[in-house]
Amino acid sequence: MEKKKRILLVDDDPDFVEINRMILEASDYEVDAADSVALALQQLEQNSYDLLIIDLMMEERDSGFTLTYAVRSDERLRDLPILMLTSAQEKTGFSFLLSEDQEWMKVDDFAAKPLKPAELVARIEKLTGKGAQDAKP
Amino acid sequence: MQSREARILVVDDEDIIRIGCQRILQNPGFTIDLAENGRVGWEKIQQKSYDMVLVDLMMPEMGGLEVLEKVQAHDEQIITIIITGFATIETAVDAMRKGAYDYLPKPFSPEELRTKIRRGLEKRWLLLEAEELRRERDRNLLELSNEKSRTMTLINCMSEGLIATNRTGQIVLMNPAAQKLLNLPPENAVGSTVEGLLGNPDLEKLIAGELETAARTATVTSKEFAVAEERFLQSNTAPLHDEKGEVWGTVTVLVDISEDKKLDQLKSDFVSLVSHELKSPVAAIAGYLNLIIDGLTAGNPQKEREIILRSRDKADSLLMLINDLLDMSRAERRGAAKVKELLSLAPILEETIQFYQNEAAAKSLSVRIEGLENLPRVVGNRDDLARLFANLVSNAIKYTPERGEVGVKGRKRDGHIEVAVSDTGIGISKEELHKVFGEFFRARNALAHKISGTGLGLAICRRIVDDHHGQITVESEIDKGSTFRVILPVPSGQ
Repeated sequence: MEKKKRILLVDDDPDFVEINRMILEASDYEVDAADSVALALQQLEQNSYDLLIIDLMMEERDSGFTLTYAVRSDERLRDLPILMLTSAQEKTGFSFLLSEDQEWMKVDDFAAKPLKPAELVARIEKLTGKGAQDAKP
Repeated sequence: MQSREARILVVDDEDIIRIGCQRILQNPGFTIDLAENGRVGWEKIQQKSYDMVLVDLMMPEMGGLEVLEKVQAHDEQIITIIITGFATIETAVDAMRKGAYDYLPKPFSPEELRTKIRRGLEKRWLLLEAEELRRERDRNLLELSNEKSRTMTLINCMSEGLIATNRTGQIVLMNPAAQKLLNLPPENAVGSTVEGLLGNPDLEKLIAGELETAARTATVTSKEFAVAEERFLQSNTAPLHDEKGEVWGTVTVLVDISEDKKLDQLKSDFVSLVSHELKSPVAAIAGYLNLIIDGLTAGNPQKEREIILRSRDKADSLLMLINDLLDMSRAERRGAAKVKELLSLAPILEETIQFYQNEAAAKSLSVRIEGLENLPRVVGNRDDLARLFANLVSNAIKYTPERGEVGVKGRKRDGHIEVAVSDTGIGISKEELHKVFGEFFRARNALAHKISGTGLGLAICRRIVDDHHGQITVESEIDKGSTFRVILPVPSGQ
């Protein structure tokens, strides 16, 4: 049997972690969770992942960007696909467009929370499919 | 005018002339007084006001010319006619030069006398009328200038800024409030054009634009604009028309709306904060329900139960949040809807402690009560004060680890009572201490300890204390505990 794809879910909201974990496990992914930037970096150090799902706002309003920047600056992690989830729109009044903001956000996809399970899975399949080509054997 | 009674004095030392004049002038329109010489005549003139004096030139004691001089000095509008037996051009000219209106040579016919009198009186009435008109004009001018100065005082006292411009955009009036609102130097701006002067192109354009369109419209144009960081003005500009309907200029009233803007901002910040806090649990519940609906839990009843329990917890916390929001708006409501009475705090505090006893016992906390017996009564709303102390006591229990201590201590100070609710709990950091009474504040260490809360409890406390004209303060140290002190005024006479 093919090795399960492994996803790191970074979100400080335990409900969303729980919900997304169940959705992803049901789609046969292996899921780890981290509720802070520090913990996420620690897990990325120790394990190898096929996808990173980050919530933009955790301890700080831009925690997600901090983590993305750290990942993109790391030789070993720079090609790791990232899906940024955000409820930023209603909190800050800002909304993002992939076509306009991808350049500086350096993420592969982003979506507004909450996502319906089917849509989350569809987006993740697209990202991990692409990620699989670069993945180490 | 002619219908008024003419008062005439005849001064002559000859009886025949005096009596003759009186007879000739016998007429309901005349009052005739007689004087037998200049001195008596002059005395009468000083006592009574005459319209006309007929005076003989040659008299013992005081001659006609002397009387004439005195009358002229006394009131130059009295018509004086000189009667003379020596009708020479010289004396006549001399008398006329000294201010006599006319002269009447002796002997004269009744008709001659009446003619002179009639003409003299006509002159007298004209003089009086002119005098009256002059007085009226002076009165009007004075009134006008009073009115103008009253209006200017009003305009200068207004807290609203007022600017009036003429047709060419020159400022014809600007009150001190306008100068202050627009941050203009105190120099007089009257006479300068609007352009570039107000340092505010928006307003200048509005006034100038108004001048262009004003001919067609007579309505007020309202605009809001920023004059500085966090300072906003509202301007209302209207054209001024003259009596022919031609545009004469504009008048602009400026109102400082910075405070309104600030309140609006606070309100919308609060609404968006509340919306977010409400959305989180609802979104979580929806997420959990989607898991079940999409069959992601199929075949795992234990997982399903776990999800349902979590959803219930979310619904509970949502309910708690909504109750707190309702309490908060209730604490802010004032007036007749809220009854305040003279009440004793001891039973309220004891009931509150009783209510939370089980929770305290579950964590083996010791609860110490001190000094509640002899507290003077305060004026307050029973439900609000119960809610205030319930929040403080339940917080103390919630944030204190097992086997800790919670204290409720009452104390009387001059004119006030103080109730201190203390705990040996996790405490609040110095950096966060000033935020504890704000809405939706949760301390970092409270979140780290996973202690749930809406972040509204202390915000409600502050509102209740404010509404009771009291004060609430906090002292705290991380891992040592917190003490919240409520100070409430005691009505005099206890």
